Amino acid sequence: MIELQNVTKTYNHGAVIALRNCSVSIAKGEFVFLVGPTGSGKSTLLRLVLREELPDQGTIWVAGKNVCQLSRWKVPYLRRNIGCVFQDFRLLPTKTVFENVAFALEVIGRPRHVIAAQVPQILDLVGLARRRDALPHQLSGGEQQRVAIARAFVNRPLILLADEPTGNLDPDTSEDITRLLDRINRTGTTVVMATHNASIVDRMRRRVVALDQGRIMRDEARGVYGHV
Amino acid sequence: MPYAVKEMASNLWRNRLMTLAAVLTVAVSLSLVGAALLLNQGVSRAVGKWRGGVELIVYMTPAGQPYPAATPAQIRAVRDQLSRDPEVKSFRYVGPAQSYREAKQYFSSQPDLLKVLKPDDLPTSFRIVLRHADQAAALGRRFEHQPGVYRVLYNRQAVDAMLRVTDVMQIVIAALAVVLLLSALVLILNAIRVAIFARRREVAVMKLVGATNWFIRVPFMLEGLVQGLVGALVAAGAVFGMGHLVSYLIAHFQANLFRYALVTGHQVALTVAAVIVLGAVIGTGASALGVRRFLEV
Ligand SMILES: Nc1ncnc2c1ncn2[C@@H]1O[C@H](COP(=O)(O)OP(=O)(O)OP(=O)(O)O)[C@@H](O)[C@H]1O
Ligand SMILES: [Mg+2]
Repeated sequence: MIELQNVTKTYNHGAVIALRNCSVSIAKGEFVFLVGPTGSGKSTLLRLVLREELPDQGTIWVAGKNVCQLSRWKVPYLRRNIGCVFQDFRLLPTKTVFENVAFALEVIGRPRHVIAAQVPQILDLVGLARRRDALPHQLSGGEQQRVAIARAFVNRPLILLADEPTGNLDPDTSEDITRLLDRINRTGTTVVMATHNASIVDRMRRRVVALDQGRIMRDEARGVYGHV
Repeated sequence: MPYAVKEMASNLWRNRLMTLAAVLTVAVSLSLVGAALLLNQGVSRAVGKWRGGVELIVYMTPAGQPYPAATPAQIRAVRDQLSRDPEVKSFRYVGPAQSYREAKQYFSSQPDLLKVLKPDDLPTSFRIVLRHADQAAALGRRFEHQPGVYRVLYNRQAVDAMLRVTDVMQIVIAALAVVLLLSALVLILNAIRVAIFARRREVAVMKLVGATNWFIRVPFMLEGLVQGLVGALVAAGAVFGMGHLVSYLIAHFQANLFRYALVTGHQVALTVAAVIVLGAVIGTGASALGVRRFLEV
């Protein structure tokens, strides 16, 4: 589903090396934690998968496509297969919960009846059916992240990328969010989650890919956070 | 695409002052473009008439002058010379009756003058069309000191002077129009960028969930198109008004030399169409430039 082959990514004309010769292969339906100290290249890796950036060297395959050779106009269609959540939620402050989720379907041209059917269903899944008319600022951080997950998942993407989704949340809420991602993973969606949350990684016992200074240091099937 | 229309309308309303500035600049600049086009068409029409027409007028001395009036023999001599000259393409003698008729028309707004004017006071004249317009001076000189000739008038000089004036006017108007069109472009571009900036969160989410670039662009481009078009419509109204105003002025002031500069309704319609097309092009072009840098994948 996701495959990086000898990927190197630098910034500022080679002054900053974010990823060094990284190779990793993630199969369909896997749940992968991406761990490592700050600046180790986790977000960079996710951005490469999303084709927000192109690598300096190496090849990246996502959902059967070589994203390095993907023509510009096809990028949006690649992204329809990838859901994304972030530490800062990135909700639209003037839109309600329902509208925020519906927006993701509207702007890829889904017909109104599809939106009317799918949005309540996904809000049910994330447990926010009763808050559908609330505005983001009326919600707790955990609830806002649920809306963001609903928005990322409403189009049933093959892949869900989560960049420190629990970074702004307390331990209990972080646990809830991770459980939600786990449930989404059980529907067959490949989930890649970058995190600093050691307790969650240790408890879940899923595949762990550890990065340090742009290198993949460890790749374990049922790993722990460790001390990289 | 109702989404695009909704977005466009709300963008326009959010930035209404900037929209107004852009629309007004488009309107003013396109009005100038329209004026320049009208002037150009009017002048080229008039030049056709002026140039193709009489280039040289030889006036014979009328009665009531300090020196004797032209005798029939003197008039005949001029006529003979003209009909023998190979440079003369054609000529026409305007006798006392017709001269008086022309004068009546010309001075119709000054009835006092008409009252004292008698047909014999007016010079009769030869209206001469030349084979080569540049021979006017040479030919004219030959008649200037001939007995019975009152004065030689070179139409061409008047036409050339007129042309120089209208040329300068056209250049000035066109230059102003270009400068204003550029500012209109910049204003629209800026309005689009402000709109995009105000919508940066939405745009970021749209990119993230895989909205196509065109889907993201269209509302902003529509916004530019509407600004260009509304400005162009105002300018089209102005062009239409100018066309009518000019014909009214020419009729009112009996400005006969300018009569030929009248543009036809057809030409006004074409100019209006050109102004509207130009407005659409400016609006779309400016917004295309505006969205380009900000909406790359
Ligand atoms: N746009 C950029 N321009 C320049 N350097 C960048 C850019 N993005 C990332 N970097 C650099 O690349 C390296 C990896 O950054 P990255 O954001 O991938 O780390 P990270 O593992 O996500 O860190 P964190 O845990 O703090 O989020 C860092 O040294 C960072 O400074
Ligand atoms: Mg990061």
